[in-house]
Amino acid sequence: MTVLGSPGAGKAMPNSKKILGELQSVLSDPAPAVKRIAAEKIVRVVGHLPTDVPEELVHAAGAYPFGVVAYDGGQINRANAHLQMWACSLIRCAFGMALAGKLDFLQGLIVPTICDTTRTVYTIWKKVRPFNFMEAFLLPRQLDRPSAKNYLLGEMGRLKARLEQFTDRKITAADLQNSIRLYNRNRALLRRLYDFHVRCPDLLGNRAVYDVIKSSLILPKEEHNLLADRLLGALEQEAGKQKSGKAKTRVRVILSGKLGEPPALLDILDEAGAVCVGDDLCTGYRYITGDAAENGDPYVALAERQLTRVAAACFTNKKQDRPDFLLRKVRETGANGVIFVHLKFCEPENYDYPFLEETLNAAGIPSLRVETEVGSESLGQIRTRIGAFIEMLDAAN
Amino acid sequence: MATPFRNAGRLKEIMADYYAQGAQAKERGVPVVWVTAVFPVEIVYAAGLFPYYPENFGALAAARKVTEKLSAAAEARGYYADLCGYARCGLGDAYAKEHPVGEIVRPDLVFSCNTQCGSLQKWFEEAGRFYRVPYFLLDAPFIEGASTTLIKRYFVEQMEEMIDFIEVYTGRQFDFDRLLEVLALANEACRLWNEILETAALTPAPFGFFDACFHMAPIVTLRGTPAAVAYYRELKKELEERIEKKISAVPNERFKIYWDHLPVWPRLRWFAELFAENGALVAVSQYTHSWTHRFDLERPLESMAETYTEQFVNRGFDYRVQLKIDMMKKYKVDGFVLFSNRSCKPTSFGLYDKQKIISERTGLPGIVFEADMADQRYFTEEQIRWKFSIFFEQLQKRA
Ligand code: SF4
Ligand code: SF4
Repeated sequence: MTVLGSPGAGKAMPNSKKILGELQSVLSDPAPAVKRIAAEKIVRVVGHLPTDVPEELVHAAGAYPFGVVAYDGGQINRANAHLQMWACSLIRCAFGMALAGKLDFLQGLIVPTICDTTRTVYTIWKKVRPFNFMEAFLLPRQLDRPSAKNYLLGEMGRLKARLEQFTDRKITAADLQNSIRLYNRNRALLRRLYDFHVRCPDLLGNRAVYDVIKSSLILPKEEHNLLADRLLGALEQEAGKQKSGKAKTRVRVILSGKLGEPPALLDILDEAGAVCVGDDLCTGYRYITGDAAENGDPYVALAERQLTRVAAACFTNKKQDRPDFLLRKVRETGANGVIFVHLKFCEPENYDYPFLEETLNAAGIPSLRVETEVGSESLGQIRTRIGAFIEMLDAAN
Repeated sequence: MATPFRNAGRLKEIMADYYAQGAQAKERGVPVVWVTAVFPVEIVYAAGLFPYYPENFGALAAARKVTEKLSAAAEARGYYADLCGYARCGLGDAYAKEHPVGEIVRPDLVFSCNTQCGSLQKWFEEAGRFYRVPYFLLDAPFIEGASTTLIKRYFVEQMEEMIDFIEVYTGRQFDFDRLLEVLALANEACRLWNEILETAALTPAPFGFFDACFHMAPIVTLRGTPAAVAYYRELKKELEERIEKKISAVPNERFKIYWDHLPVWPRLRWFAELFAENGALVAVSQYTHSWTHRFDLERPLESMAETYTEQFVNRGFDYRVQLKIDMMKKYKVDGFVLFSNRSCKPTSFGLYDKQKIISERTGLPGIVFEADMADQRYFTEEQIRWKFSIFFEQLQKRA
């Protein structure tokens, strides 16, 4: 069975390119697939901005959690009447899509308040283009003191109650544990795909692996698990058939920032012959690591997952300091260098940069920073700079 | 221009005294604690630590028109020119070789509260890294409409954690009786400050927003000390004399205006003159009203939690619109100016929709203008002058 309705599924194992093609076509325009799935399953679709909303909870309420990732950069300027142009393009894109009617398949939206832009846009959005169900998920921004956990548990309880009201369905502990298992399974599959990508970047390049992760945010996990599983099987098979010739060793890089956007950036890395071996992106490694415990109190499990996730700029956490994380990641993966991908006007990232750069510098790890915008198409200069950086790393290799 | 205040000299003295205390704190063995403007500083005072306000440093640098210079040092380190101007001044000064407004005081501890913004959370976190000192964040979740027990409890618990932290750091037990004394002093200073601000509702008024921007330093920094109370007693006396002698802030006051939030510091005088030329008094702003707290001494921590989480900047759209309208009504203004401040996303995003709604509900003319509170690179004088001339024309027509 396939939700995407690709013909011939279930017969011979489709090759990886075909599955990737399906995922990419959903990414370029998710609306038809989402509408069909929602109609088939008779569920409400609840959007969330990436990636600190406990999707498991939304899922356990019987709704379909849809990550409003940046996929239609063309709508950015639709937000201009309501939001100054110096808001980050991720939010301008999401809000712009809603204003253009491109998110009409959503019945609800949850906005995690992780920065000034999210907490502000939430109330503007609610005012000018509300969904039936609209909630801010009020995350704690300090994560390392006991108060954070107490509060987060309370806040999840509040969100649970609001979701139950909206979907008219009680969330039982068993439901939530089921959802946690489903999400853990997806993360495990994505991690295996990521590992495969690191091993065989010729078969699963940078663009492809990040597209797979991104698509997991917009497809129901049930469906995505099937696709990811099929993809993994196809890839393993293709890898087995490959002649074990001498593949060119690639330059290994780590990405640091919020998102790997625009996707063309990843194409540039592919073309330059670099392989991403890790990242701290919200729609990358940070999304696919950190499982929630499958037994015990599921709310505690979700809270602990949130409190111990990969460090991100929006959260203060001395137990999980970002410079330490980045350094460790470079050493673990044997990366040759780090590329900071910063969204213009995202101040949390920008504040962290000088210290991160200094930390890497002191450890003798080369780094490059590029500033990008969701939906931007003019990457000429960035292409040149990345090309030069990769060449430099290659020469030093 | 308006008659200068005789208390202006006193203000300079008490602020010089405050800065001198900061400079000597280290010698006297008093830890210097960085704090943010909306922060339970009463705890810091009660613990006998010296609170220092990097935002004030930023405002001072901005008023002296050296933002661009300090920012250049921050930008050279990789901070973008899009960040909050105060942060760029503070971070820039740490890296700069020259210190045009004196060196920013190095912290022993860095405390930050994010009620106002995430910029303070991040700027202070970086400062903690740069100066290699402990960093403590008081986290204020967003409050859309009314606050909740959950949020209050969370904030109280964090203040308790902070008190524990201070006790461990200083090796002294925290004195709750002393806290009550400090809160009582803060209440008194806030009450006086509020009464001073309210004189702007008189016609003609002896005092307005631009005066308040000048006289607000003690309510921010010395709230909780006898010095602030003494200062505002004197200032209030002076205002009473002025009311009697009919000395008004703007000669021939014809209009009262609501100004949303911060001034453009390097253009304070420019704006003051522009308004005065048009017979308009900027009477009120939610900014200068941010320090009109009233603490309940029966429940000090809960009351501080409410005060410091429920500030307008941490509230939802409707709440903020209503607050602005209430202030406009109370001060009987004729028009309003909303400042879209590039430095400050949490106060600026949403202003375009707010302008429409406020005009619809009040019938008052209003404008939104774009600039930056600190950085003149974002100040396009001709455009702004033109925008304001249309605004003043509208006011004249209605008069
Ligand atoms: S954290 Fe950065 S990218 Fe994310 S919403 Fe906030 S400003 Fe935008
Ligand atoms: S001006 Fe705005 S962004 Fe800057 S410190 Fe103040 S509240 Fe924060």
